[in-house]
Amino acid sequence: MKYAIYLGCAIPIKYPGFEAATRNVCERLGIDLVDLPFACCPPPTSLKMVHYDSWLALAALNLCMAEEAGLDLMTLCSGCVNTLKEANHTLKKSDSKRRKVNRILEEQNHHFKGNIEVTHVLDVLYQDSVIEKLIKEKVRELPLKVGCHYGCHYFRPPKVMYPGELSESESYVPVKMDHLLSIIGMEPTEYSRKFLCCGSPLGANSDQDAGYAIVKEKLRHIRERDIEALSVICPSCFEQFDMGQIVLSRKFKDLVKVPTFYLTQLIGLSLGMSPKEVGLDVHRVKSKKLLEGIGIS
Amino acid sequence: MKQALDDLNKGSNSKDLRIGVYVCHCGKNIGGTVRCEEVAEFASTLPNVILAKDSLYTCSEPGQEQIKTDIREQKLDRVVVASCTPRLHEPTFRAACECAGLNPYLLEMANIREHCSWVHLHDRDAATDKAKDLVAMAVSRAALLQPQFELTVPVKRSAMVIGGGVAGIQAALDMADAGYKVYLVERSGSIGGRMAQIDKTFPTMDCSICILAPKMSEIGRHPNVELLTLSEVKEVEGHIGNFKVKVLRKARYVTDGCTACGDCIHACPQLAPDEFNAGLSIRHAIYIPFAQAVPSRYAVDMNLCLNNQGIVACDRCFQACTRKCIDFADQDQILDLEVGTIVVATGVDVYDPTALTELGYGRFPNVITTLEFERLINAGGPSSGELIRPSDRRRPERVAFLQCIGSRSKRSNPYCSNVCCMNTIKDALLIKEHWPETEIFVFYIDIRAFGKGFEDLFQRARREGVTFIRGIPGEIIEDITTGDLTLLGENTLLGSSYRYRMDMVILSVGIRPRSDASVIQRLLNLSTDTDGFYMEAHPKLRPVDTTTGGVFLAGAAEGPKDIKDSVTQASAAASRANILMSKGEVRIPAVTAKIDPDKCSACGLCARICPYHAIEGSKELGYYRVIEAMCQGCGACVPECKFGALDQAHFTEAQIVSQINQALAHSPERKIIAFACNWCSYAGADFAGVSRIQYPDNVRIIRTMCSARVAPEWIELAFLKGAGAILVSGCHPSDCHYNNANQNTAKRVEKFWKRMEKLGLNKDRLRLAWVSAAEGTQFAKVIKEMEQGINKLTPLQIEETKQKLAKRPSKKGEPV
Amino acid sequence: MTVKIWNFFPREALYECYQCARCTGSCPALEVAPALGPRETILKCLNLGHDEVVEDERLWVCCTCNVCEDRCPQKIPISDLLVALRNSAARRGNIPDKLEIAIELLAKTGRSMIVHQLDEMRAHHGLAPLLPVPIDEVREILKKTRLDDVVEF
Repeated sequence: MKYAIYLGCAIPIKYPGFEAATRNVCERLGIDLVDLPFACCPPPTSLKMVHYDSWLALAALNLCMAEEAGLDLMTLCSGCVNTLKEANHTLKKSDSKRRKVNRILEEQNHHFKGNIEVTHVLDVLYQDSVIEKLIKEKVRELPLKVGCHYGCHYFRPPKVMYPGELSESESYVPVKMDHLLSIIGMEPTEYSRKFLCCGSPLGANSDQDAGYAIVKEKLRHIRERDIEALSVICPSCFEQFDMGQIVLSRKFKDLVKVPTFYLTQLIGLSLGMSPKEVGLDVHRVKSKKLLEGIGIS
Repeated sequence: MKQALDDLNKGSNSKDLRIGVYVCHCGKNIGGTVRCEEVAEFASTLPNVILAKDSLYTCSEPGQEQIKTDIREQKLDRVVVASCTPRLHEPTFRAACECAGLNPYLLEMANIREHCSWVHLHDRDAATDKAKDLVAMAVSRAALLQPQFELTVPVKRSAMVIGGGVAGIQAALDMADAGYKVYLVERSGSIGGRMAQIDKTFPTMDCSICILAPKMSEIGRHPNVELLTLSEVKEVEGHIGNFKVKVLRKARYVTDGCTACGDCIHACPQLAPDEFNAGLSIRHAIYIPFAQAVPSRYAVDMNLCLNNQGIVACDRCFQACTRKCIDFADQDQILDLEVGTIVVATGVDVYDPTALTELGYGRFPNVITTLEFERLINAGGPSSGELIRPSDRRRPERVAFLQCIGSRSKRSNPYCSNVCCMNTIKDALLIKEHWPETEIFVFYIDIRAFGKGFEDLFQRARREGVTFIRGIPGEIIEDITTGDLTLLGENTLLGSSYRYRMDMVILSVGIRPRSDASVIQRLLNLSTDTDGFYMEAHPKLRPVDTTTGGVFLAGAAEGPKDIKDSVTQASAAASRANILMSKGEVRIPAVTAKIDPDKCSACGLCARICPYHAIEGSKELGYYRVIEAMCQGCGACVPECKFGALDQAHFTEAQIVSQINQALAHSPERKIIAFACNWCSYAGADFAGVSRIQYPDNVRIIRTMCSARVAPEWIELAFLKGAGAILVSGCHPSDCHYNNANQNTAKRVEKFWKRMEKLGLNKDRLRLAWVSAAEGTQFAKVIKEMEQGINKLTPLQIEETKQKLAKRPSKKGEPV
Repeated sequence: MTVKIWNFFPREALYECYQCARCTGSCPALEVAPALGPRETILKCLNLGHDEVVEDERLWVCCTCNVCEDRCPQKIPISDLLVALRNSAARRGNIPDKLEIAIELLAKTGRSMIVHQLDEMRAHHGLAPLLPVPIDEVREILKKTRLDDVVEF
């Protein structure tokens, strides 16, 4: 199993710990990763909103690099997977858009062919063979009540993110992270408004405080279920929860903070990595006490 | 076939004909697009046409009088009317001909409205040219028409009603009171249907079961009604006037000595959710659906009973029954009924809102549906009429109704469910009546209070303090400690967000066709509309008839409707059936198949293919013949005959061949010849017209009764004449109106494709498409796609097809 | 001036909207900030024309979470509409400052984060230095797609 790893911008620059954890987990679970000189995805929240054609062309450049290496893309971020999956889907489907983009790319000696798939590390880990390996390789369980937050861009709009997988009538609701975490002994817990946005794009584009107001609403429902840890699969969601709780706790003194983890950090811990190895030391909401409670230090 | 061509070429019987052509403007419907005067003038130049006129409304009294006068004075012996679809006014003009002494089968119609003016609204020239073509086709066919005489068949003076809801009950009573024997077939253990589940009716606030129960008992004791509960229709054969029906009557395991004393239920150890109470209470394996049930007899649910393995493992109910009415040896029975007419009143299902995860139905106990609410507030319901919320059995103080759940949505039912607005208003008033201090909020999009007394009721609800908020909540959040619900949404009239805390939320769920509606649909050859409801024969003028003769529709199975409309429609359906039964006979169209004994070689292929076993004979006898009373006129047998011995009255080889020839007389390479069956595809093309769906003007539709009538020779002929493309269209497989005769259509087309493939021809030029009567868009889509194919054709390809198909002429004795 | 947005979006889809407000009812932005919301956006496009909408700053108050599209009973592709409208707005100069700065950075560096003492930080986690972005290619492509019509870089 081999993928081109698409790191994006936030993870390698702000949270190298996520990257280290992911590389380590993949190695242990038999997933080969190849590095390529990718550019920014670019984000569905910024460039796509401002200039669609530029967004599509730049995404196509990234897709071409993977095509040229003959590898499927594995992303680590809900935003990146949204952009790259949608661009891949659109360019495969629309002859006119593909022609237009290829005219630009060909000047740089690239040509979009449409022969690779884009996926997220969560989907990669969720494959049967990987799960079997994880069950064999795990050295400890993490008996904590965990709440999953998927990040809207990971699964919406389902017509692009999961074409063919959704029924016409139902709202699509992802479950893979909950299942995966139960395998490493965690207790995935449902909470109200689980699929509410983290508010990060609101902070990035307009009003930081409004974004954090959404975090506060989510936290209320997370706390009401006695959830001890949050698991995310996107650096923007992570920052929103991690930084957001610090900012909120300045204003609301009685706010109980919930440590937030990136998915592969939790899996890394169950595979025997230390908190420092998966980069938990740079998190603002500290998880030291929580992990010591289950014998991890 | 060959003979037919010869006849045509010689024009032997077309000498000295006197054809009159009438081009109808239909007000602006045709006249607004087609230059009718020009078409009439053109028609007058056609062979055998001695007069051609245009009139504003040919179907009007003066219009018909004109035809009658001309037949008498001008000695017309054929009449061609170019107007709307023959499915609408053919009977009108046939009657006019008959009245003037002309055999009604000497009338021919050109459909220049549904198939021309309405689908080419924006191109007057093209529409006028097409209308001329259609008239020319009709005139050439008219020249070959022969007088026909219709057979009269007796109508059995008995009826079957399928479904024992209020519509079925009303229809059964109306027919039984008129003196006819009625079999009322009901699937569940009691008649009553949805109305029995509802607490009160709108707008009068009558007690639902109080007004229904007397009708139910009347059914139970009516000497003309045979009530068959726990019964399902399994097979229907025959036709209008004489249906042979097999009904499966399931074992009840309780004999008619039962007095419904109820001693047995307490003895029964097995429990299940009670369907009648929408699952809000439990019942035993031995049960009576509800207190007022008719028949008032218990039944054993054998799926649930401990004795379901065929041995008596538990006999507690038997022991408890003092009259010893329980009989575990009871068995399912097949009943054979013979009826003249059938009324379909199978009702509807309720939308299941579980799919709308944001509303939490199924996860939050205090989110319920309107049907569950009806049972909750009913004195005979699980809470004895106390309004309580399921989570803690506390009486809710703040109640919300959410409208349009599952209705008006492309994600579920695209249509308005018709009854939910008034039902909610009625429910809100009921709560106010019993517990006036309850705060009630109705979240809506549009309140549709269109019926008599509806607006009054709406205003009354507002006066009594029910708050109406425009804007459906996007999300419901449950408080995990109290079970209270928070509704998030936007009040669109104030333009502001809201957050309401409620004790209970009632989802006003829509209604949808029965999930197994297709079973009855297939048994009776009914059509369904795009929403899945049974389709009426005509939306305005034959609203309770179906396209299957002798079968009528009543109640919500035809489309969402309230109790009053269901009852109205039921009486209408009964009245339509009564007309047939009181007359005691019915004429059937003279479109049967005929065998020429001189040409018949007694091979028997036709008999094997006939879906009605209407052809008898044998090799030994040396001939086969058609039993006319049994022949339904599909014509599937005709193309099967290799010896040209078979033909179909009024849809003869010569007639259709003349239409093909005429259609391809000018620029054939641009033309699409479309064969369309009378019941589905022709009606589908009509529906495209009614819906004003525009499509290319180069299609020429030729009607047959069934697509199985389409002979491979016709396809070959059209290609030899240089046709650009050919469409063969019929009902969807298994929706065929002739007992799946259209499986022959598919076989024959596939055979032709193979032949084209072998010859190296582009087989995309022959298309097979299933188009139902409701699929106007589908018809237009197919034509548009075929038009694109034609645009890519080169003259060379057309020539190649001609030559290659001509090279290997179909030898006698070898089917092409 | 009329801004062409219908190349991006099938305008007929808007006629399906009957203003049920399920979209705004589930909109997180509208819950916490003065957003325009999909319902009002569509209504204004239909009744007042989209010129009115693309000049409105509230158009940008959005999480881009797409829950509106998920909830829409009429399956209107709202996410596509919002992209089309915001693209037009940006071309007209209606673009939030923060976003303009972010895109300038992206166009100049090929990344949407400022890189500062990165190699040491990555080494701390045992990671190799990040591969460089082919920045010339990126800039060339963005020039060709005419991003500089909207944001100068």
